[in-house]
Amino acid sequence: MTEGCVYDSDSGQLLTGSYMDYCMPRAADVPSFKLGFTCTPCPTNPLGMKGCGEAGAIASPAAVMNAVTDALGVRDVPMPASPHVVWKAMQPMKKAAE
Amino acid sequence: MENFAYHRPAKVADAVKAMKKAKDGKFLSGGHTLIPALKQGLANPTDLIDLSGLNKGGVKVGAKSVTVSAGTAHADVAADKGLKKAIPGVAILAGGIGDPHVRHRGTIGGSVANNDPAADYPSACLALGATIHTSERKIPAEKFFTGMFSTALKSSEVITAVEFPIPKKSGYAKFPNPASLYAMVGVFVAQMGDGSVRVAVTGAGPGVFRVPEMEAALAKNFSAKSLEGLSVKSKGLNSDMHASAEYRAHLIGVMARRAVTAAK
Repeated sequence: MTEGCVYDSDSGQLLTGSYMDYCMPRAADVPSFKLGFTCTPCPTNPLGMKGCGEAGAIASPAAVMNAVTDALGVRDVPMPASPHVVWKAMQPMKKAAE
Repeated sequence: MENFAYHRPAKVADAVKAMKKAKDGKFLSGGHTLIPALKQGLANPTDLIDLSGLNKGGVKVGAKSVTVSAGTAHADVAADKGLKKAIPGVAILAGGIGDPHVRHRGTIGGSVANNDPAADYPSACLALGATIHTSERKIPAEKFFTGMFSTALKSSEVITAVEFPIPKKSGYAKFPNPASLYAMVGVFVAQMGDGSVRVAVTGAGPGVFRVPEMEAALAKNFSAKSLEGLSVKSKGLNSDMHASAEYRAHLIGVMARRAVTAAK
């Protein structure tokens, strides 16, 4: 919703090089969470451990972006779905309605 | 950061003197713009003249105007009960600048003197027709803000206070840049005692500007409805990776309606 790296198209310089331009979500930008656990211990070691990394980071952006495209009734919205991007995605619909 | 000579005068006249003597001096107030610029080597003054010794800041509410001394931090402006009652729009604006760190160190004098195109205060100054008091004269806001980061101030002139006329109603609404929290678009609306209305926009263009069409519509009927169908042209507005000129033009309409709705 907020984070995106932007490079200058001519020089390749990173434009979002500081937190003045790169929007790292702050506490106020983050919703409350409901936590759920699925517990399936690994049978091949005594502690039941599994390697696990950023499982949530894979599914959640797709869920959020699907929600955005569904709400707007469009096929694609580029990430991040910032207010500016959402507004841009809505312009063809606005024109069609006029 | 390069070496510089540090001065902390106790009197305005001494600050002016120190600046006149300096080869390439800079006045320092809250330092929230200048210190980062020094750290990054974007500013390399020979002399830094710290104005924090001049006064502790403060707000004086008069019968017709509110005078905020230049060294007053944004948080103190926002919390002043008399100001909040007299000009609610200015209290809302000051309470929404940056984050708590900025609000407790940054000052009204520093903000106005820097005239960042995305700063909040210039919109209140222009919409209310404020007067900028300096070490040598009084400058009306219309003549003070002359363009991006530039003002009518001479190099050795110090802002001592900002005087806001008390309006009938005032309101401010801004759409902050999600990363920096500076105004991507901020609109200050003021309805004066004689019924005239002034609308000033910050963040959207190279400097703060008024919107005469909106002012005329609101003078007839001071309600958000009067602004429906009015649009600002995107030509000349800022366009960057955060927002195109077209989006900023759209936001001016939205923020103006919100400011009018919030005005009291």
